[in-house]
Amino acid sequence: MRILRIIAQVLFLYLFSLLGEYLQQLLHLPIPGSIVGLLLLFVLLLCKIVPVKWIEDGSTAVLAYLPLFFIPATAGIVNHMDIFSGRGLLLIGILIVSSVLTMVVAAHFSHWLALLSKKSKREKGNES
Amino acid sequence: MFVIAAGIVLLNVAIYLVMSSIYKRFHIPVLLPALTATFAVVVLLLYFEIPYDTYMIGGQWINKLLGPAVVSLAYPLYKQRHVLRHNLPAILGGTIIGLLVGMFSGILLALAFGFSKLYVLSILPKSITTPVAIQISSNLGGESSLTSVFVMIAGFTGAIGGPYIMRLFRIKSSVGIGIGLGTASHALGTAKALEYGEESVSMSSVAMTVCAIVGSCVGPFVAWIMYSLIG
Repeated sequence: MRILRIIAQVLFLYLFSLLGEYLQQLLHLPIPGSIVGLLLLFVLLLCKIVPVKWIEDGSTAVLAYLPLFFIPATAGIVNHMDIFSGRGLLLIGILIVSSVLTMVVAAHFSHWLALLSKKSKREKGNES
Repeated sequence: MFVIAAGIVLLNVAIYLVMSSIYKRFHIPVLLPALTATFAVVVLLLYFEIPYDTYMIGGQWINKLLGPAVVSLAYPLYKQRHVLRHNLPAILGGTIIGLLVGMFSGILLALAFGFSKLYVLSILPKSITTPVAIQISSNLGGESSLTSVFVMIAGFTGAIGGPYIMRLFRIKSSVGIGIGLGTASHALGTAKALEYGEESVSMSSVAMTVCAIVGSCVGPFVAWIMYSLIG
């Protein structure tokens, strides 16, 4: 019974990604269809139009196997094996350095902003 | 045709399940199933000289699930909606600054080492989830297949290196961990954030979403600024 519910819910999620793709093409949005679908579902959940029960089991199942869905796309690297030799290796170094920089800046800046907004909220609380 | 496709799908799932049970037992970042399973598939393709297109007869069926997988991120987002609302400035600020640092540092380093415009433009959207990055890259004049490989390298940097980077740079808050992983390493980073708990996952998936939206808007400007400065 549970497996049937998961399949039905994954199909429901798939419907949202198709709807997102349709809207993206219709409105010529620069963001991809799956993200349009995500935003749409999120808004419908917030407005209580779609009850959480309808997607709970399906989402949990899909998210548990998330890495599986990347394998085919990542395996596309077989067509670019030259990246792993000669000057290509330099490119990998650049990507790693830049990604580490991105992670550290994003993490520290967001942490700092979180502390800042917490502090200003507390000060506002003291004034009133 | 159907038998081949079903066989490839089953093989993929089997490889993935084996690799994730190995990962569960040893829990070493290098054994991350997304990496080891992909490695096993690549080795099989190269050893048996199977063209990627043939493999994708089955692979595309798994690929199709990427859409609903992205949509299903609405669930952790919804469950953490209160945390999100209380941290809105931190999320938007951290993600956008991180994204810009990532784009500029990638381009500048590639230019400094004398890589051609094609490579530079293909590197630009590397921290953005594959389906979006491919669109941005091809709009800018990059090569989308190169971009998808670069996106994977950025993803693995976070998914494998994440725990070390967090320790080295003293990133401890679940907000920081989530935003860092999602901004730098998109969905692969978000999959890693699952191990840090629900708050980090929702932070990471919001960061990934904001990255995709903002990235597709600012990407062309970043490319334009770089090339008008350099000529």
